[in-house]
Amino acid sequence: MTAELNRRELLKAQAAAVAAATAGIALPASAQPIPGGVGALEIKWSKAPCRFCGTGCGVMVGVKDGQVVASHGDTQAEVNRGLNCVKGYFLSKIMYGADRLTTPLMRKRNGVYDKDGEFEPVSWDEAFGLMAERAKKVLKEKGPTAIGMFGSGQWTIFEGYAATKLMRAGFRSNNLDPNARHCMASAAYAFMRTFGMDEPMGCYDDFEAADAFVLWGSNMAEMHPILWTRLADRRLGHEHVKVAVLSTFTHRSMDLADIPVVFKPGTDLAILNYIANHIITTGRVNEDFVNKHTVFMRGETDIGYGLRPEDPRETSAKGAANAANMEPMDFEAYKKLVSEYTLEKVAELSGVEKSFLEELAELYADPSRKVMSLWTMGFNQHVRGVWANQMVYNIHLLTGKISEPGNSPFSLTGQPSACGTAREVGTFAHRLPADLVVTNPEHRKHAEEIWKLPAGLLPDKPGFHAVEQDRMLKDGKLNFYWVQVNNNIQASPNSSNEAYPGYRNPDNFIVVSDAYPTVTAMSADIILPAAMWVEKEGAYGNAERRTHVWHQLVQAPGEARSDLWQLAEFSKRFTTDEVWPQEILDANPAYRGKTLFDVLYGNGNVDKFPRSEINPDYANNEATEFGFYIQKGLFEEYATFGRGHGHDLAPYDTYHEVRGLRWPVVDGKETRWRYREGLDPYVKPGEGVKFYGRPDGKAVILGVPYEPPAESPDDEFDIWLVTGRVLEHWHSGSMTLRVPELYKAFPGARCFMNADDARKRGINQGAEVRVISRRGEIRSRIETRGRNRMPSGVIFVPWFDASQLINKVTLDATDPISKQTDYKKCAVKIVPVA
Amino acid sequence: MNMRRSVPALVFATLFCAGTAALAQMASDRSPELTGPPSPMETIPAAPVPKWVTDDVRKMRAYPEQPPVIPHSIEGYQLSVNTNRCLSCHKREFTQSSGAPMISVTHYMTREGQMLADVSPRRYFCTECHVPQADVRPLVENRFKDMSELGFKPAGSE
Amino acid sequence: MQRLKEWLLWAWHIVSTPAGTLSLGFLTLGGFVGGVMFWGAFNTALEVTNTEKFCTSCHEMRDNVYQELTHTIHFANRSGVRASCPDCHVPHNWTDKIARKMQASKEVWGKIFGTIDTRRKFLDKRLELAQHEWARLKANDSLECRNCHSSVAMDLTRQTQRAAEIHTRYLLSGKATCIDCHKGIAHELPDMKGIAPGWQVPPELQGETLPQSSAVDALDRYVKASHAGLPMEVMALD
Repeated sequence: MTAELNRRELLKAQAAAVAAATAGIALPASAQPIPGGVGALEIKWSKAPCRFCGTGCGVMVGVKDGQVVASHGDTQAEVNRGLNCVKGYFLSKIMYGADRLTTPLMRKRNGVYDKDGEFEPVSWDEAFGLMAERAKKVLKEKGPTAIGMFGSGQWTIFEGYAATKLMRAGFRSNNLDPNARHCMASAAYAFMRTFGMDEPMGCYDDFEAADAFVLWGSNMAEMHPILWTRLADRRLGHEHVKVAVLSTFTHRSMDLADIPVVFKPGTDLAILNYIANHIITTGRVNEDFVNKHTVFMRGETDIGYGLRPEDPRETSAKGAANAANMEPMDFEAYKKLVSEYTLEKVAELSGVEKSFLEELAELYADPSRKVMSLWTMGFNQHVRGVWANQMVYNIHLLTGKISEPGNSPFSLTGQPSACGTAREVGTFAHRLPADLVVTNPEHRKHAEEIWKLPAGLLPDKPGFHAVEQDRMLKDGKLNFYWVQVNNNIQASPNSSNEAYPGYRNPDNFIVVSDAYPTVTAMSADIILPAAMWVEKEGAYGNAERRTHVWHQLVQAPGEARSDLWQLAEFSKRFTTDEVWPQEILDANPAYRGKTLFDVLYGNGNVDKFPRSEINPDYANNEATEFGFYIQKGLFEEYATFGRGHGHDLAPYDTYHEVRGLRWPVVDGKETRWRYREGLDPYVKPGEGVKFYGRPDGKAVILGVPYEPPAESPDDEFDIWLVTGRVLEHWHSGSMTLRVPELYKAFPGARCFMNADDARKRGINQGAEVRVISRRGEIRSRIETRGRNRMPSGVIFVPWFDASQLINKVTLDATDPISKQTDYKKCAVKIVPVA
Repeated sequence: MNMRRSVPALVFATLFCAGTAALAQMASDRSPELTGPPSPMETIPAAPVPKWVTDDVRKMRAYPEQPPVIPHSIEGYQLSVNTNRCLSCHKREFTQSSGAPMISVTHYMTREGQMLADVSPRRYFCTECHVPQADVRPLVENRFKDMSELGFKPAGSE
Repeated sequence: MQRLKEWLLWAWHIVSTPAGTLSLGFLTLGGFVGGVMFWGAFNTALEVTNTEKFCTSCHEMRDNVYQELTHTIHFANRSGVRASCPDCHVPHNWTDKIARKMQASKEVWGKIFGTIDTRRKFLDKRLELAQHEWARLKANDSLECRNCHSSVAMDLTRQTQRAAEIHTRYLLSGKATCIDCHKGIAHELPDMKGIAPGWQVPPELQGETLPQSSAVDALDRYVKASHAGLPMEVMALD
């Protein structure tokens, strides 16, 4: 043993020497008093939320000499209590990829802009100059509907809010949509249709209170690692707790499953109706709850697949024109509808064995068991995503297992501010802040008043949603397009036939703001270098309604600027006379001759707070540039929308002190569970439970059937393709691929396949293959082992790898109600590379 | 992301066929280097799946809070509700026989900050934070600076 | 059930009644020919039932343990040499093989009565099934592993340092046998609560050495192996 220890010691010393040599550090022989005293070792620590998923972990960020040098989980943050996942622990490195964009770039030939030219560095002035010229030309020739912007759930709250003002009130275009459309639009629509208010009624505290967890199309072990630690803590620490995991293949979350359910793609709808049927036939409906707090509705059926209107699957869909319709029905009719979904029939359809289905149904039916249902993209990226979301609410409503600790249908989000920015701020093509919508004249009027803008200014027609934007770009109907904080060419479905030709369409002018040269940036005409994460002051809102704010901690490299600065500064290049209709200006002459900056951001609200209110310990580039505390101004104006309406936010400064607060924040207190007396200040004494988002105070139980996916395997394209993420990389990998440790942990996408399927096709483990669909192909390598264990007939390819753009292969089918893409179901074939 | 391909042939191929931004920008040192693929929609060969680093040599952390990376392959290691292969060597009670580094003391702490007699269940899934490393060159160089290079001279260096 | 009983009684009656009309020659010769045919059929049956194809013709095996095997190194690896079900689960020498085959009648019973005909039943029974195999491999010093993986033929320089070190310390010294550490090498593990990692020498074995580590035992095993006509065993000698 001694000899061995010595050898190990030696090994260790060698390793340290090697590492030190690589890092260029001279190692001291032994410890001595610290030169300059302990002060020289001090690091300035500040709080921030993590930059990645929708969990919203708190991190402490260490800064020294203007550089982020370390980060760790914030022990005071309730979400994660000191833990981070592997991505979170490497946040310190995401800003330091050697290819950070540091100057605006413009495609040029012979010194002038040319759509087919090469990128050359230009000044901000030149970049904005050309952008403004192009935007004005498009506005003049085609009007506001030819201008569009694609944002993200990674925008800070202020950025999304500034963008919505610029687009809707400035350019009078509702063609503003976030990439969150691809992420949780189905969840948002289902919330509105069921409860009349967006976002979960419960919160993460449910993890410590539930007796059972059911994951519907969510691989939390990889996609929400810290929530997974909370779930694992509960499951492993309490013997009675059960976990059911439903997916179309076996993945890491199944490793903790007591009830592992692998079903045939799309048949989750049938399983959901079976559970409802089981609850009804075994007499476990919570009748008191159902009678008092719910209404039954029948959904329109045969609603199509959100494809281009001329697609035969759309023309033959009888209900496509009224996809969102809901008609009242009664309990008996609902009971009849779900009675078709018997155990035998559903076991047959879904390929799941009966005992698992029964065990699963019993978790919900058993009145003594508190159940937390969790879902993400398996449900949301689904041609019937809104239905699937609502059908899980059905089960919780039938049993009354909702709005109390541990009983919680919980929609998880994929982006750090999918809720905070995309949804709450209202950056969707049809939304305004705080659940208001552009189609409602009262809502528009309310927004115009808060924004101090002329009446009738805001456009009333919903704009193009994400997939439609790509189509309109390709068709030449959307001609000035600005993309911020997302990598749409990598993310959008059927990209080589829709989005990419749209970006390169000679009629169009494409601007991309990003920190790194992504494929989207490389497909643009102008690239604007963006400041990221703690290079600016920010605010995010996570999946449990928690609003979390951070300070600017370091300077962005070169001339990189925040999206907020870009939006506000760009608005200075337009006057109201250039962009607003004559009749509105005639009726409101006071607005004449002003820049959009003046009317949108210099309106007395946004510029209300002086720079002196900024904590002197931190920089704030935007405030310095514009001369006022613009973030606070935007936040406070935005908060006006929700205060007193169930969306109350605390005063802005409070958020700098706390580790986030869950809205509604009433009398300084956050709300953990909504809609229940004693827990939610909006429910009055004696009301018990009240779903106050809807006028009747009741939630909707939706009767809808199983309907098949848009495309299923056939003789030629004989296998299902599922796409998704991996733990180590976040979304398109533009940040995580630049962290060497994360890159090396998962250095390229692979095609996960069932080993028998591969062998039948004569394909070796590790062999190169072509993944081919009716739309496009990529080349990848076969993986029959590892974290994802595929059933026969299904492959999985992650989408983080820009050298394997799997979205060239996917189908641009969407949920017809939410318009969210289904990335989980299309038909492909696998051909070995000869 | 052609930079990640360590296969030299591919790098050359990329450089030659690029003919666009990447090459043009590299030629001029005033302008930034773009590492995006030359033609986004092009179907390019998939690089072979690299091998894992299995040298068992502990790798220096980039900062003290960083979870150490795994210097061996974990292929086929089962980590489920039934069993945890990692703990079978790295758990305190086994480290003397296995010679593996002991799980950090922080892992014994509950969500409430209480120390337990064994690893806390919230830390059960090791691979949430600890990952093995493939034997490849980084896709893009990272200019993160080590804190010991900043602001002060390390103890004993003078 | 009643019919079965009647049939059995009738069969017994036929078999137990002495032949009245057949010649001794016919009976003897017929017995011999019949014996040859039986032997041929028996051996064929033995061979047929000793393939992965046969094992996975039952969905219990195909959907559970076989699927798990496909994710492991025993299904696909560098050189393409692979182990199929009987390589690990059926002894190679004749007597043990027959013994195992007789045990398999219990598995046929299980098949008929659906003991593990659902995933749920299989998962519930997995620990018990695994324990049988562990016990068997422990008792025979991981014989089926060693049919291919001879410990003395291991090139320590081709193993990772960690593996070489642990093999030297536990395997080569005879403190442990393959299955002690490599449980779950080809299938997913059952609930391992209370089951120590293999390299921790179990208390009941501390101080003892496994047969393979002693020269006398090894010689003994060599002799036995030669009689059984099993050349692979030779490798375990030195």
